[in-house]
Amino acid sequence: MALFKNLTETQIWKSIFRHKYPDNTRDQALAVLSNVFLHLHPIKVRKSGVRMSFTWCMGGVTFFLFLVETITGILLMFYFRPVVEYAFNDMKDLREVTPMGIMRELHRWGAHLMVITVWLHMLRVFLTGSYKPPREFNWNVGVILLVLTLLLSFTGYLLPWDQLAIWAVTVGTNMARATPLLGHEGPGAALLTLGDIPIITAGSDVRFGLLGGTVVGPATLMRFYVLHCVFIPMIAGVLMAVHFWRVRKDGGISGPL
Amino acid sequence: MEFAEKIKHFLDWLLGPVTFFLFSVIGFGAMIAFRGWWTRTPVALSLFGLSVVVFLLSMTDAQFRVIIEKPDNIPIVIMLCSIGFLLWLAFRKMAINDGLIEQGLPTIEARESKKRVMCWPDLIYSEFLIAILVTIALLWWAIEIKAPLEEPANPAVTPNPSKAPWYFLGLQEMLVYYDPWLAGVVFPTLIIGGLQAIPYIDMNTKGNGYFTFKERPFAITVYLFGFIVLWVLLIMLGTFLRGPNWSFFGFFEYWDIHKLTSLNNVNLSEYFWNTWLGMPLPENIFLRELPGFAVVIFYFAALPPILANTVFKRFFIECGFIRYNVMANLFLFMAALPIKMALRWLFNLKYIVGIPEWFFNI
Amino acid sequence: MASTTPPTRTANAQLTRRSFLESVSTGWFIFTAACIAGLSATARFFFPNDLFEPPTRFKIGLPENYAPNSVDENWKAKYRIWVVRDGEKIVILNATCTHLGCTPNWLLTEGKFKCPCHGSGFYRDGINFEGPAPRPLERFKLSLAADGQIEVDKSRKYQKELGQWNDPDSFLKIS
Repeated sequence: MALFKNLTETQIWKSIFRHKYPDNTRDQALAVLSNVFLHLHPIKVRKSGVRMSFTWCMGGVTFFLFLVETITGILLMFYFRPVVEYAFNDMKDLREVTPMGIMRELHRWGAHLMVITVWLHMLRVFLTGSYKPPREFNWNVGVILLVLTLLLSFTGYLLPWDQLAIWAVTVGTNMARATPLLGHEGPGAALLTLGDIPIITAGSDVRFGLLGGTVVGPATLMRFYVLHCVFIPMIAGVLMAVHFWRVRKDGGISGPL
Repeated sequence: MEFAEKIKHFLDWLLGPVTFFLFSVIGFGAMIAFRGWWTRTPVALSLFGLSVVVFLLSMTDAQFRVIIEKPDNIPIVIMLCSIGFLLWLAFRKMAINDGLIEQGLPTIEARESKKRVMCWPDLIYSEFLIAILVTIALLWWAIEIKAPLEEPANPAVTPNPSKAPWYFLGLQEMLVYYDPWLAGVVFPTLIIGGLQAIPYIDMNTKGNGYFTFKERPFAITVYLFGFIVLWVLLIMLGTFLRGPNWSFFGFFEYWDIHKLTSLNNVNLSEYFWNTWLGMPLPENIFLRELPGFAVVIFYFAALPPILANTVFKRFFIECGFIRYNVMANLFLFMAALPIKMALRWLFNLKYIVGIPEWFFNI
Repeated sequence: MASTTPPTRTANAQLTRRSFLESVSTGWFIFTAACIAGLSATARFFFPNDLFEPPTRFKIGLPENYAPNSVDENWKAKYRIWVVRDGEKIVILNATCTHLGCTPNWLLTEGKFKCPCHGSGFYRDGINFEGPAPRPLERFKLSLAADGQIEVDKSRKYQKELGQWNDPDSFLKIS
């Protein structure tokens, strides 16, 4: 105890923590306020709003899983090369040879779990009517985050470059062929012509832009890799900041007025 | 043993695409209607016990185990269990709160919402604890079950069956009934847009921040129907009951590649001109598809005003013109899926409007 | 000092309310147009000019190699086509389901192509008869090359619903 007391008296400790041990209201408030990570929280919350039977903690679990996915994802990037010649073998190595070889498992099962927790979070928010004013906008941000979660999972699906990956993505992206006006097998696409030359073909439609080719190939692997590792997480990160900020600005976890 | 086989056959028969959906809808209706009864602890516990027993008995069946124990299917089992539990929790609170509101008493949440607690420790400790529990569960899962890796990608060989990621299997099931431009593009867009529109078309100010059913029965019923029946149960159907060639297989049925199913479907235009009028199909595309266009236009243009004057009268007055029309059209789009399913099963209807020349099939 | 107007103001004497609004809206118009142009240019970036995909013109051997009333699967892995000979007529079928682009399988005993993704079925001539596929399989252009081999051109396709199967380039008659 004396050692701990001495430790907390050092200049180093004091330079990091601006409060005493949080066993009283003042230091508990300071603990939240003076910490950049904790200060997402308000100082005080509704008693009804911290009940696990009310929130189900699904939003929190989703955010935690996003962190898990980020960390395990970055670790996987050290070994994985998103090139057709290597991708599958790198996956095999990650599965069989790489030390502490559960990174891929953590990443994959965490991703599945995250999809579930997002849905359950949304279910809770709906059933408690928490999308109602003043939280309409934040519900919208949440819907976009839900879509981004599914897109993250979908783009990650291709990266192992095995049969499951390529065919799930083939089936999924082939629907883009049928986009009205913008897909070459979509209704109305035949109407878009320059004279006799069709503008929307297999080599110029929205699916081509997504895949970087007419079939799921090397360019697609690279694209999905970049989308999966950089592009979508970045947007999701920004929107999460907005989402959490608005939870507080709109009055915290909802409760009867 | 003989008896067990008979039960399995009966269950397989029970889980055909038509009966599965029918029982889903009936079960959903029962869940809403008898929410006061099944959420009571003894009943809920008995239901839980019963499903555990059925599950464990089913696990003795080799075919059932093959499907359930596929590594990528485990999240679906987790999802079904957690949805079951959380629905029980939510409906129980709804039942209790509805009773309290009727007596003019404050709801469970309202009793505590005025009281504030310190974030540290009351919130942060539980967040920390949950994070640890999730980590442990995930680590255990990751050590216990290897993430699958199949054969290297080969564009020439499509695995049979070939499935989208499990969370999109509801959409893939929709593709059986609607063409890709609807099921793959228009419907997903409308699902996202419709979800975003919810706060702006739901004019009911009650039920904000607490569980209640009686104060917002329409909103909850529609949302849960969409989420449970048209999304989660279709995922379950797509994962567990769709086998090779996208044929339907019961839980205990062997996935036989050569299972024959008749899928000879007929367009509305053929019904109208050939069967009813006894004429050949007209050459002119517009004339040929006239009955289909009439049905679709009636559905989206005439039904909203008719509904506004009948069952949705109260909504129309509360919401106003624009909100009402957005709501009614989203509602009709949502209803379009079960309607087309029923038409397919009852009349083998393929397309209401079928113009493959322009990729325009409805 | 306060009563005298600063000399710089005189230069702006002509700046009326109308001309001010005009220049501001012109400025915003140019800014918006430039943003749209920039975004479109960025979108164009995602449509590559060169592809690393298999060639679209290739030879598949002599017509005699294909037995009458048969479906040949030897080129499916490499070029994703079936060579279907129906008596004296050879056609090249695109082994891509018209529903969502999976590769169907040829079921010899049942005499049909069956797609594993959503169960679409096609007869040997490529015409759809069951499942969700909205239209028949596509055919590719084929011709006899100078050395007597069949040459396939996958860049030209023929769709039945557009009446293109009567096109003389879409089949090969063996006399």
